[in-house]
Amino acid sequence: MAIAIGIDNVSRHFGPLRAVDGVSLDIKAGEFFTLLGSSGCGKSTLLKLIGGFDAPSAGRITFDGKDMAGIPANRRPVNTVFQGLGLFPHMTVAQNVGYGLRLRGLRGKVLDDKVAEALELVQLAGFGPRDVNLLSGGQRQRVALARALVMEPGILLLDEPLTGLDEGLRQQMRDEFGRLHKRTGATFILVTHNQDEALSLSDRIAVMHAGRIEQVDQPQRFFDQPANAFVARFVGIEALLRPETVERHGDEGIATIAGQKLPVKLATTAQSGSTVIAVRSDRLVVGDGAAPLPGATLTVVESVFRGLHRDVKLAFADGQTIVVAIPADRDIPAVGAAMKVGMKPGAAIEISSSGMPEAG
Amino acid sequence: MKASPSTIFGLVFLPLAAILVLGLAPLAVVVVWSFWAWDPSTYWIKPDFSLAGYAAILEAGRWTVILSTLVKALLAALICLVIAYPTAYAVTFLASRRLAVVLLALMTIPFFTSYLIRSFSWRLVLGRTGVVNTFLQDVGLTSAPIDWLLFSDFAVMVGLVASYLPFATFPLVLAMGRVDSIVLSAARDLGAGFWTVLRTILLPLTLSGVFAGFLFVFVMVAGSSTEVQMLGGAGASIVSVMINDVMRVANYPLAFAISTIVLAVILGLVLIGNWTFGLARLFEDRAQ
Repeated sequence: MAIAIGIDNVSRHFGPLRAVDGVSLDIKAGEFFTLLGSSGCGKSTLLKLIGGFDAPSAGRITFDGKDMAGIPANRRPVNTVFQGLGLFPHMTVAQNVGYGLRLRGLRGKVLDDKVAEALELVQLAGFGPRDVNLLSGGQRQRVALARALVMEPGILLLDEPLTGLDEGLRQQMRDEFGRLHKRTGATFILVTHNQDEALSLSDRIAVMHAGRIEQVDQPQRFFDQPANAFVARFVGIEALLRPETVERHGDEGIATIAGQKLPVKLATTAQSGSTVIAVRSDRLVVGDGAAPLPGATLTVVESVFRGLHRDVKLAFADGQTIVVAIPADRDIPAVGAAMKVGMKPGAAIEISSSGMPEAG
Repeated sequence: MKASPSTIFGLVFLPLAAILVLGLAPLAVVVVWSFWAWDPSTYWIKPDFSLAGYAAILEAGRWTVILSTLVKALLAALICLVIAYPTAYAVTFLASRRLAVVLLALMTIPFFTSYLIRSFSWRLVLGRTGVVNTFLQDVGLTSAPIDWLLFSDFAVMVGLVASYLPFATFPLVLAMGRVDSIVLSAARDLGAGFWTVLRTILLPLTLSGVFAGFLFVFVMVAGSSTEVQMLGGAGASIVSVMINDVMRVANYPLAFAISTIVLAVILGLVLIGNWTFGLARLFEDRAQ
C-alpha cells in the first residue's frame, strides 16, 4: 500500500521568492521521512506540492513513478494532518473521522465499524458522538490523525502536527506517530522545525534551508558527517574552527589551528572550496583521561554552571573557542589556566564551510 | 480588569435607551394605533378597539400589494444571495488581501449616491433608447427596442438587486471570514471536490451569514419605494407606496394596520431564522 515518492528538480516560486528551489528527493515506500528546517525554509511549501494543494513552478513529482501533475489534492492517494488540524467544527468526532469514507460511498455498519476502529487506533474509543470543539488539544490532534488514517492512505503527510501542544503531550503523540507508522506501513512525511522529533522518529531526514536541501541522511549521519557548516550548526555542533592548513592522508588528516595539530576525519566525498573543522563536544575528554589522547592545550576563558555539568569555554591562541562539559562536582577551572583537551577518534571532522557565519 | 456593575450599567444604558426610545417605542405605538378608530371631527384617531383598519386591507386588492411586496422581497433577496455568495467566496478565499479591500470598497459604491438618482440612472440604461437597447440593435440581435426592459417588474427587480446587493454581500463576507481555510483544505484532502466542499462544509458553516444577508435584503425591499416608483410599470405598487397613498387620504388606522402586518411577517422571519440557522452565531466567537 505504501507509495514511493519521486521529487525531480522541483521548484516553487512566488514572484521573486524561491520558496522551493530545485529540490530532488527520492522517498522510499514505507519510509518515515522528515523535512527539517526553520520557518520559511520551504518545507511546508514542499509538503503542499506533494499533497497537491499547490503546483510546482518547475519540475516533476511522481508517486510510484506516476507523474502527479494536474491531479488535484482530492484525487491523490495522500492524506494530511494539517498544522492547525482543520477539524470540521459543525460535525461530531465520528462525523469528522467518517467524512472521507462517506465520500467514498460507505454507509451504515461498514462505515461505523471503520470509524470505531480508527478511533480505537488513536485511543479515542467511545468519543464518536462528542463535539469536536469541546475536546482537549491532544484529543483534537488524535481526531485529525484518525480522520487521515481511516482513509488508509499510501502517503501520510504530517505538517508540524505537534506545534502548540505542551511537552508531555508532544512526547506522547510522538510515540503515537512511531507506533502508527509501524502499524499502517504507509509512507510518512513529517514536516517539523523540532530536531528531537525528527531524530527520534525518522528513517531519514532532509535538512532544508532557503528552499534547498542541505543534506539528506539517516539521523546519526548528521552528527558523524554533517554536510556543511549550516547543517553542523543546525544540529547543534556549535564549535566550527577555521584551520590554517589541513594535511590529508587518505580519510585521515591533520589540521593546524593556531599552531596546534589536531587529528581530523576527512569528508568521504571530495571537498571543494574552503573547509572548516567541526568539533563534537561529546568526543572531547578533559582531565585524567585526556593525557594519552592526541589533542590541544587551550586557555580557559570562562566557565558557566549548567546544573548537572559545567560548560567551560576554551580558547586557541588565535581566539577561536570550543566549549567542553565537565562534571559539576569537579573543581572550577581558573580563568586563564591552561587545560589539555583530548580528542577521541572522530571528534574533529572536516566539512564544507558553506553556511558558516562570517567571522565576527 | 473587571468593570464595576455601575460602569457596565452606564455603558449599556445609552444604547439600550436608544433602542427603546428610537426603535421599539414607535413600533409599539404603530401597533396600538392600528386598532384605534378614525375620528372625522378631529381629523385624527381616537382610542378604540376597532378592526376596521385590518378589514380595509381586504378591500380594493390591498392584500395583493402586500403579497406582491413579500414576493418581490423574497425574489430580490434570493437573487442577491446567488450573486453575493460567489462574490464573498472570491473576496475571502481567492483574492489577495489588497484586492479584497479594493473589491469590498467597490461594493459600497451603491451607497455613494441616493436611491433616487441610482434608480433614475437605470432608466437611461434600460429605456427604449437606453444603453442596452442601443447595443442589442447595433449588434443586430434585435431589430426594434425591447419594451419590457423598463417600466416593468423586470426593471424593478434590477433596481432592487442593484440597490441592496451589498446588504447580502457583507454578512456573507463576515461569515466566510470566520471559516478557517484549513478546514476547506482538509475536506479536499479527504477526497471532496469543489461542489462537495461547498455543500458539506462551506454552506453549513456560513448558514447564519446566508440568513442574515437574506433578512437584510428582504427587510430593505419590504420598505423600499423609490425603485418601484421610478422603474415600475403603470399601477405597479409596493407596500411603502400604498401606505403613502393611504396616509394622504388621512386613513391612519389602515396605514398602521398595513405596517403592523409587514412588521409581524418580518418579526416572524427573524424568529424562525434564529431558531433554524442560529443568527446569533454570526457574532459569536467560536473557540478554534
